[in-house]
Amino acid sequence: MKQRKTTKIIIQLCLLLFFATVVIAPIVGMFLRITPESFREMTSSSQFMPALINSVTTTLTATVISVVLALCASFAVCRTDIRGKSFFAMLFTLPMLIPSISHAYGLKALFGVNGSGILSVIFGDSISIFGFWGIVAGSVMYSFPVAFLMLQSILQYEDGMPYKAAAVLGIPRIRRFTGITLPYLKKTLISTFFAVFTMIITDYGVPEALYNAEFGKTVSILMYENVLSVEYGRASVVGLLLLIPAVIAFAVDLLVPEQSQSGFVTEYAEPGEGRAARTAAYVFCILLSVIVAMPIVAFGVQMFASAYPNDMTFTLSHIADTMRSGADGFLLNSLIYSVFAALSGTVLAFICAYLTARAKSGVSNGLHLISITSVAIPGLVLGLSYVIFFHNTPIYGTFFIIVLANTIHFFASPYLMMYNTLGKVNPDLESVGRTIGVGRIRIITDVILPKVRFTMYEMAVYFFVNSMMTISAVSLLAPPSPKPIAVMISQSVSQMQIEKAAVVSLIILLINLVLRLAVTLINRRRQPA
Amino acid sequence: MGSLNDKLVISDLSKGYKDKDVLRGVSFTVRDGEFLSILGPSGCGKTTLLRILIGLLHPDTGTVVKDGVDITNAAPDKRGMGIVFQNYALFENMNVVKNVEYALMIKKETRPTAHEKALQMIEAVGLSEYVKAMPKNLSGGQQQRVAIARTLALQPDIILFDEPMSALDVATRLSMRKELKSIQSSFGTTMIYVTHDQEEAFALSDRIMIMDNGVISQLDTPETICEAPANDYVRSFVLDNLRAKIDSLSKYAPGLRE
Repeated sequence: MKQRKTTKIIIQLCLLLFFATVVIAPIVGMFLRITPESFREMTSSSQFMPALINSVTTTLTATVISVVLALCASFAVCRTDIRGKSFFAMLFTLPMLIPSISHAYGLKALFGVNGSGILSVIFGDSISIFGFWGIVAGSVMYSFPVAFLMLQSILQYEDGMPYKAAAVLGIPRIRRFTGITLPYLKKTLISTFFAVFTMIITDYGVPEALYNAEFGKTVSILMYENVLSVEYGRASVVGLLLLIPAVIAFAVDLLVPEQSQSGFVTEYAEPGEGRAARTAAYVFCILLSVIVAMPIVAFGVQMFASAYPNDMTFTLSHIADTMRSGADGFLLNSLIYSVFAALSGTVLAFICAYLTARAKSGVSNGLHLISITSVAIPGLVLGLSYVIFFHNTPIYGTFFIIVLANTIHFFASPYLMMYNTLGKVNPDLESVGRTIGVGRIRIITDVILPKVRFTMYEMAVYFFVNSMMTISAVSLLAPPSPKPIAVMISQSVSQMQIEKAAVVSLIILLINLVLRLAVTLINRRRQPA
Repeated sequence: MGSLNDKLVISDLSKGYKDKDVLRGVSFTVRDGEFLSILGPSGCGKTTLLRILIGLLHPDTGTVVKDGVDITNAAPDKRGMGIVFQNYALFENMNVVKNVEYALMIKKETRPTAHEKALQMIEAVGLSEYVKAMPKNLSGGQQQRVAIARTLALQPDIILFDEPMSALDVATRLSMRKELKSIQSSFGTTMIYVTHDQEEAFALSDRIMIMDNGVISQLDTPETICEAPANDYVRSFVLDNLRAKIDSLSKYAPGLRE
């Protein structure tokens, strides 16, 4: 028995050491690059304060719009009796499957660089997609699906009894919303706000594509430029700054108590049946669907039009050109990176989740905390910290560092998925195994893995999809060859090959969509547990 | 030293977690073929005691001797004991017969022999119609029978039960009590049954061990406990509770008190 305990603790300590090396040490290394001089240089540079103000104002505006839209959309989907809820929900989350930079180019395609887009033709060329409102619009497109998913997942499991009681007492609908729904959503709303804020302020894809000289840059662009010019000290100052909202978001999630008590819910809140609410929900969902789908449709049009928007005759030449310029190779690289990230990430997340959920020891809490820490590190900051920490190691500039960065960057969510699933699996299975002479490993392979396999599929897809589309950490770490395909989007645009960016974005979307749908179908077919 | 028909001799068992002593010097014997209930409120140490007996926990002090052999440090599967957990812990990805077969295959039985033995055990617990059913499609009582069949298949000398009826409805509990007694008489197995339900303990047991705060308050036959409770705790926890039940029922069935 003592030997079993010792083995368990040794494995957990090894994992702790691994995470300390690939999560904590790089971040500490980044901090150590900050000297009083680099701090002064960065903060006193003429670009810094305007960039900071730009980042904060665009992010705050986009966050508020995104969360409000997500709240309305999740309310429409969960609390009205409209038809096609699954369709709307799927459409609202579609933008999650393409890189942030693609949203920006989608908007560019719609409005055109000089008023030459489809929407400019309709609205006139007074609307420019560059600058403040362009960045806000792109950021909303990019962050809305995440906010929607967070709010929808909590709204659909709300207890229905308080609403029934309120209805019996004759409490008006608006008071039910302010008195029951909002307090229930409070924690999730706060978490969503911080998560979305962090997502937007640390993203450089949208601002990079949509900033202009008049508006100026954002801090994420400054950081990216400083890394490219090997000014690691100055870049680290921005990295530290970008870490602040992420750490606050992390702390909020840990410290604010959970309002939902799904374990005690006997019946979930039912959708209302009001005609006015239904009509409003339809109008809202259809409008939002059109807005969400427009950039993607614009990509599709761009991909098949000879010279969008002037010559709209059908052609396949853009696809052929993109493939000829090496997209097939980039795509293969991305597929390899993503498959390896999915495999290593899923295995690592399962082992960690198993050890913290079902094989607790004195170090389990430490391992749990470090496993979810990666959620507090934005991709761009992780990328910078890896550039600094692994610069003189053999893995720098190789396939391994990309897979490692993607595995760590996207680790927290799949880990938590598995941690929660394993927590619900019968706690005595291993004990039964021991009494009949079956070891822990055999119980895991024979009983536990078959039980949690659907969560494993979800985890693998999560790693795969995100690895396919991420450009944050990867843009700083990608070796000259083999480069992943998402990086090709910004390259194509900088070479004024917008059609190639459209083709690449749609290829990523298509692959991610097929995989996502396949897993959804497999999981839907499973028998209820 | 125990007498000749002592199956299990437990001496001076203690177990503590951080600042709490869960078991404090517990000593008792279990006779061969008897049905012994361990009765006490939540947190009194009864489940910890059961887990030490099966070998899932190691005591801080004390010994567990079975048939004259010290098994305190033996692995759980080398003790000749089986356990039925409160939540049954069935393998949800395997059907009824596979759940039972699995344990036998681990013990190196050939597949046909394991299958044959599994079917016999399933028949013994009255589940022949459900051989191919998945656990999630069975009722609580049926799941419990599968767990018992899986335990019986390995032919243990002693079966331990950790509050196995707490999740069952009243009617199923009553039928399962009969079932358990008949299984015990057919197989002659010694059974140690942990419960917090006084009525259940009195209905099933040859002897009852009443625990309070990590120590044994009384270990006797149900009759002796009723006639001569060892202390105030036994009187209030066991007898007063049973009397309250009888009083509430006798309002509607006046003959019950007699």
